[in-house]
Amino acid sequence: MLGDSRKAQEVFHATLREAAMRAARGELPSEPFWLFRDARWRCLEATKSDLQPESVEMDEGDVAPNAESQIQRLDPMQLAIWISAAPDPQRSALALFYLDEFDYQDILDIAELKLSELSRYLAKGRRQLQAWLDSKFPQSSKV
Amino acid sequence: MKLLSLMRRQRSLLNCAPITARQLADRPMRSAISRADGSAEFTDQQNFDRAVARVVGLISIPAESAEWFSEKDLVPVSKRTWKNTLRNPAVLAISFAVVVIAGVFVFNFVSHLNDFPGSATARKLLAVAASTRPVMLDPVDAEAGTLSDLFFMKHGLEHYDVPEQFADFGTIGCRVFEDDESRRVAQIWVSEKRMQFFLFPAERDSKTGSVLRFPGWRYVHQEGWTGAVMEHSGVCFMAAVRGSDKDLQPYLSQPKE
Repeated sequence: MLGDSRKAQEVFHATLREAAMRAARGELPSEPFWLFRDARWRCLEATKSDLQPESVEMDEGDVAPNAESQIQRLDPMQLAIWISAAPDPQRSALALFYLDEFDYQDILDIAELKLSELSRYLAKGRRQLQAWLDSKFPQSSKV
Repeated sequence: MKLLSLMRRQRSLLNCAPITARQLADRPMRSAISRADGSAEFTDQQNFDRAVARVVGLISIPAESAEWFSEKDLVPVSKRTWKNTLRNPAVLAISFAVVVIAGVFVFNFVSHLNDFPGSATARKLLAVAASTRPVMLDPVDAEAGTLSDLFFMKHGLEHYDVPEQFADFGTIGCRVFEDDESRRVAQIWVSEKRMQFFLFPAERDSKTGSVLRFPGWRYVHQEGWTGAVMEHSGVCFMAAVRGSDKDLQPYLSQPKE
């Protein structure tokens, strides 16, 4: 979400502090994903003051059958930065989805999205990531 | 139009298909995946997602934060609670059906708890009592106890005796008729509380033909009428009155001297 481990740590601790305080007051919300929703808003808040990426139209490409080999060559931090550079709510959708801990209904709940929106953001994210991979690791066999 | 929107929804679901094979509780998602399973496009998407998720899994987490997740799932597997199970429409429908069936069973059980041989006939005769008008009977001005001779002499009905508790009640009329099973029934109307007496053959065992006896007085109820029935010498006597058991109890408590 943030592409910055120091900021992520700060948000993590702030979220835990909030949870501990609410628990001490006996005010823990009954909804299951409030902690994740809270963390997401803190992440968005934390990046507000950062330099925002220019809103340029990114290239898109269909998911290639050999994309797996391109992805394997990616540095994890590069991918983290690429995801954190996406505009929200696409960023939240991609981060929550590829964390592979939530099912789609959980993501809809946490990111406050509709199914059609989540679907659009993920599909678009895949195409953009593919285009980025193609530019980063050009396939010689590709015509 | 509906088909188009269904296809669009399926497409949306496929775009959000889970990356790793986990138990899918969501039926629409299961259905969408089973339809798309094997298609090249979906296979590419799944491979792509798996590869990205693997790389995401390698993103380093600061040790201080990582220890929070070392042995715990990020999202605890939601267990089915009793509340959720009870709110399930299928469970609700089955529970409702079971309650109704149990209710009917209990009602039948309770209503047949006081059954005795001949209770069905007695109930039918209570319905006859409710619909009988005085003009339907032959006028007879006598004591009820004396009519057993009349039934024997005129109709050949043996042991059609009125019990001594009711024997000295003055009669308004009487008749002998056949019920729907061709059994001969004697009906007597008395002036006391406008009671009606019925005398009818007692139930018999279908195999042995012996009389199915029962001790003392038994009550039956039908359409606001109450009957007190006793069996004697193979013949049932029923005193019927519009009202409740209380209206008949004073007459049944003690035989007259």
